[in-house]
Amino acid sequence: MPQRYSSEKNFSTLFLVLLLILSCGVFMNLKIATDRIMRKKIPGSSIIYLPKGEYLKFATFGYSSLMADLVYLWAIQYYSDYEIPDRFLYLYHIFTIVSELDPQYFDAYDVGAYIAVYEAQDLELGLKILELGLEENPQEFWFPYIAAHYLQFIDKDHERAQEYYKKTMSIEGCPPIVRRLYADAIFKTTDYQGAWQAWLEIYNTAEDEKIKRVASNHLYNVKATMDIEMLKEAIARYMEKYGRNPADLSKLVYAGFLKSVPKDLDDKEYLYDAQTGEVKTPTIPWKR
Amino acid sequence: MKIRAIAFNTFKEAIRDRILYLILFFAVVCIGFSRLLALLTVGDRVKIIKDVGLASLSLFGALMAIMIGTGLVYKEIEKKTIYTLLSKPIHRFQFLLGKFFGLVLTLFIMLLLMSIIFLGLVFFHTFKVEWQLLIAILFIFLELCLITSVALLFSCFSTPILSSLFTLAFYLIGHTAWGLEILIDKIKTGFGKALAQILYHFLPDLENFNFKTEIVHNLPIPAKIFLYSTLYGIFYTLFVLILALLIFRKRDFI
Repeated sequence: MPQRYSSEKNFSTLFLVLLLILSCGVFMNLKIATDRIMRKKIPGSSIIYLPKGEYLKFATFGYSSLMADLVYLWAIQYYSDYEIPDRFLYLYHIFTIVSELDPQYFDAYDVGAYIAVYEAQDLELGLKILELGLEENPQEFWFPYIAAHYLQFIDKDHERAQEYYKKTMSIEGCPPIVRRLYADAIFKTTDYQGAWQAWLEIYNTAEDEKIKRVASNHLYNVKATMDIEMLKEAIARYMEKYGRNPADLSKLVYAGFLKSVPKDLDDKEYLYDAQTGEVKTPTIPWKR
Repeated sequence: MKIRAIAFNTFKEAIRDRILYLILFFAVVCIGFSRLLALLTVGDRVKIIKDVGLASLSLFGALMAIMIGTGLVYKEIEKKTIYTLLSKPIHRFQFLLGKFFGLVLTLFIMLLLMSIIFLGLVFFHTFKVEWQLLIAILFIFLELCLITSVALLFSCFSTPILSSLFTLAFYLIGHTAWGLEILIDKIKTGFGKALAQILYHFLPDLENFNFKTEIVHNLPIPAKIFLYSTLYGIFYTLFVLILALLIFRKRDFI
C-alpha cells in the first residue's frame, strides 16, 4: 500500500512538473505574441502631469538625487524616440525637474542644451537650460563656455558669444582656449582694434611657444585684414578719380589716398594685382 | 465541492480581517481625492479622475492581495489548523486552490465595491456610465489574480513579512520588466543578450494587463490583445499555482 501511494505521488509530481513546464512555455509564447501586437500609445502623455521638481522632491523621501537620475534616464530614452513629433514641447519642464531635484546634475544641463540646440533646433531654449545650469553651479565654466560655443559656431552671433566668453573667463579654472575664442569672436564682429588688443594680450602672457605662435598668426591676420581693408578703400577712391586701378600700391601714396603703403607684420609688402585690384597677404597667416 | 467549501471559508475569514477594510477605506479616500486633484488642474478634469481612480483600484487591489494572500497558508500552519484540515480527505491541491479562489472572491467583491464608487464619481462628472472603464478594471482583476497566486506561493514557505516583500518585488518587477527590451537592444549579441532575452520573456509582464492609458484616452485597442493578455494571465497564474503546489506538497505536516 505505501509503495502504491509512493508511485502515485511520484507520478503526480511528474505530471505537475510537466504541467509547470508546459504552462511556462505557453505564457512565454503568449508574451512574444502580445509583444508583436502594436498597441497605440501616447508616449509621454503623462509629462504634463509630472509635478515641478520642488514638489516632487517631497515625494522622494530624501532620494531626490536618485529620482533625478531616473527622470534623466527616462528623458534620454524619451528624446531618442523620433516617432514622437512634439517631444520637445516640455523639454525645459523636464530638465527643470532634474535641476530642481539635483541642482548639481552637470550632464542634465549639458545634454538638455544639446538636445535643444541640435535636435529641437531651438538655440534660445538650449541657452535657457545652460543659464539654469550656471545659476545653480556658478563655479562651472562649462555652461557659459558651451553657450558661447553654440552662439559663435551655430548662430554666428559673435557679439552674444563674447558676453558668454567673458562670463567663462571670470570663472576660475577655465581653459586658456577660451581667451583665444573670445579674441576670435571679437575679430568676427569686425572690431579689429579690440581683436588686436585681445590677441596681443594673449601673445604677451602666453607661456607656451605654440600658443605664442598661434597668437602671432592671429595678430598677423588682424593687421593684414585692417591693412587690406584700408588699401581696398584707397583703391576704390583711386578708381573713382582716375577710372582705373593704380599700377602699383605706391601710386595711392602719390595720389594722396594713403600716407604710406602698409606692410604686413613680417615687414613684407602685400601682393597686388593691378588687373583686378585685389590685394593679398604675401603669406598665408596660418602657415607662417 | 471541497475546493468551494475551503474557498467560502477563506472568503469568510478574509472579510473578517480588519486590514482589508483599512485598505478599502484608503482606496475610497484616494478615489475621492481625485476629485480634489481635478480641481487643481486646467483642462480635462475627468481624465485626472479616471487616471487616479484606476490607479487607486490597481494599487490598493494589489495591496489587498499582498497583505491577505501572504498570510493565507502561513496562518493555517502557525495556528496548526492545517493539521486538522489535512487529516481529513482533502488533497493539498484542493486546499491550495480553495485558498486561492477564496481570496480571488474577496478581491472581486472589494474591486466591485471600489469600482461602483469610482464609476459613480465619473458619472457625477460626465453624466454617463463609461462602460469602457470596465475593460481596464477587468484586466486589473486579472492582474490581482496573478498577484494572489504569487502571494500564495510565498506564503507556502515563508513568513508573511518576507512573503509581502517578495510579492511586492514581483509586482514592481512586473511593471518595470518592459525596460529590459531597451537593454536588449543596447547589448551586443552574446551570452548577456541571450540571458536578458530569456529573462524578458520569463519575468512577469504586468503591463499586459494595463489598458488604463488606452481606455482613458479612448485609443483603439486591437481585439487580439485582450485574448492574448487574458490567456497570458491565466497561464502565468497556473504556472505559479503549480509551483506553489509542488512546494506545498514537499512540506511535511503529518
